[in-house]
Amino acid sequence: MSAIDFSDPATIALLTDALTAAGVSGLEISRPGGQLRIVIETGNETRIDVTTTTQPASVVQPVVLKAPMAGHFCPGRSSRSAAADRLPRSVSAADILGFLRVGPILLPLCAGRAGILTKQLAEPDALVGFGDPLFEIEPQS
Amino acid sequence: MPETFDKTALASRRFDTVLIANRGEIAARIQKACRELGLKTVAVYSEADREAPYGKTADSALCIGPSSAAKSYLNKDVLLLAARLTGVGAIHPGYGFLSENAAFADAVEKAGLAFIGPSAASIETMGDKISAKRAMIAAGVPCVPGPDTALADDPAVIERVALEIGYPVIIKAAGGGGGRGMRVVPEAGQLQEAVALTREEARQAFGSPSLYMEKFLQHPRHIEIQVLCDTHGNAVWLGHRDCSMQRRHQKVVEEAPASGIAPEVIRPVGRACVEACRQIGYRGVGTFEFLYEDGAFYFIEMNTRLQVEHPVTEVTSGIDIVQAQIKVAQGDPLDLSQADVNCDGHAFECRINAEDPDTFLPSAGVITGLALPEGPGIRVDTHIHAGYKVPSYYDSLIAKLIVHAPTRAEAMARMREALTGMCVDGISTNIPFLRALFDDSAFARGETDIHYLEQWLKQRRAP
Repeated sequence: MSAIDFSDPATIALLTDALTAAGVSGLEISRPGGQLRIVIETGNETRIDVTTTTQPASVVQPVVLKAPMAGHFCPGRSSRSAAADRLPRSVSAADILGFLRVGPILLPLCAGRAGILTKQLAEPDALVGFGDPLFEIEPQS
Repeated sequence: MPETFDKTALASRRFDTVLIANRGEIAARIQKACRELGLKTVAVYSEADREAPYGKTADSALCIGPSSAAKSYLNKDVLLLAARLTGVGAIHPGYGFLSENAAFADAVEKAGLAFIGPSAASIETMGDKISAKRAMIAAGVPCVPGPDTALADDPAVIERVALEIGYPVIIKAAGGGGGRGMRVVPEAGQLQEAVALTREEARQAFGSPSLYMEKFLQHPRHIEIQVLCDTHGNAVWLGHRDCSMQRRHQKVVEEAPASGIAPEVIRPVGRACVEACRQIGYRGVGTFEFLYEDGAFYFIEMNTRLQVEHPVTEVTSGIDIVQAQIKVAQGDPLDLSQADVNCDGHAFECRINAEDPDTFLPSAGVITGLALPEGPGIRVDTHIHAGYKVPSYYDSLIAKLIVHAPTRAEAMARMREALTGMCVDGISTNIPFLRALFDDSAFARGETDIHYLEQWLKQRRAP
């Protein structure tokens, strides 16, 4: 994810210069937090619109936890009851959501962030590859 | 020493599932051959190739790593892990990537799987240019004049060797190949500096400073001989190809047979190649590459794998080389003898690359429209389709256009027609350049050598 602040005047000035130099007539960037539109007019006049919206607290982009390597997907923890693995549920960054089984080795799959675990995206014991989606988490700050 | 194969070992080589450790058109080609043999396939792919069509048509598919080839297709550990997780019995390495990596072949065999290719020992012998040359001389294969030993460090000895060969000479890295790690020396004054520079390049690029010296041929053609060997001592050669049309040592157009070479001239060379395979206990498919000048052949190297250009031999010989390669890996004896090999007509292959036709800079992006030529004597080996995204991480080869006709002139005409009917929208390709090349009169007359294409390009660019 880019950390660039598109409402920053210095960033807007830099983008405007770059667009003018490249002969590009305009640019529009839309993000959940707002929208930036730069239109380079003929005669080098420029129109800039910056619209920011207040993000509702409940609208958070979910994060997908992906397989770090190929292996057989084993969700949940053997030491916990099935009820404890019910979805959705709160998880902490350090929680182990499941494992990848590679031969005799079980590779733990950590949540990596606190939030609500909303979905399990792979079937138990399925063979998954690098980057295949396993879980969906709605982060909480 | 020839390798031996006992019956127990051969029985244990049988497999019903093949992991294809490659990408692009060759992954699709190998999958087709496996399917026709009734074998199941496992496709492995990097993140950049997640949407590749052969991943969807394989019996199973697995992403093995990020887009970088070093972390996916060149990563021995993840490939072996994928083989273990999917329970395959064999790995086909295709070409490029790990196909000529002796350590990978060894690791595959040690994991109890069949490596669809030669043994690690054969790959190692032929990968070192000095030991390869020595093996070829022992088998009676003609080699470029020059000693079959590594170049000494002593400048006086180096000078004496160059004088004995006669200038111009070429200095080559023993571990090099594909046009890398070599330097031409036109006269004595430039010899020592060329040796020092090449030695350093060889040390850095190939991990070994070992060099050798040969006579530099001025206007040779690149001719190669395809061989096929089983594990029962049977070996045949499947005719010859001319791959002289090269740019920066990379083949652009290949044809079979090489025109203008009398059968009685090339037959002894083919027989010597077969004999060399028997002597080194070679198994599977391989290609002996030669320079050909003034009616004489000079061995340069052996490729211990399937070649990109194998289709021109397939369409002229009628033999499915990929299927034959897999059957050999199963331990089957060859089902043909040398007398059964009859090459008919003439074939050309054009490598269709995603690159600018003038600058040859790679062109990645989405293919928005695609028209592939069809008809008698036309074959297209490809994995692309409309909507396919050509990734920027790998070789720019996106398709191979192959034509076959009774004569060379008819095959050229068919290729012109096929190139006209081929259209790839959304990215740049070298198709316009190939169209122009097939209109060249010197090419049509067969009057070309390995330097011809570079000179032709230079003339085109001249104002």
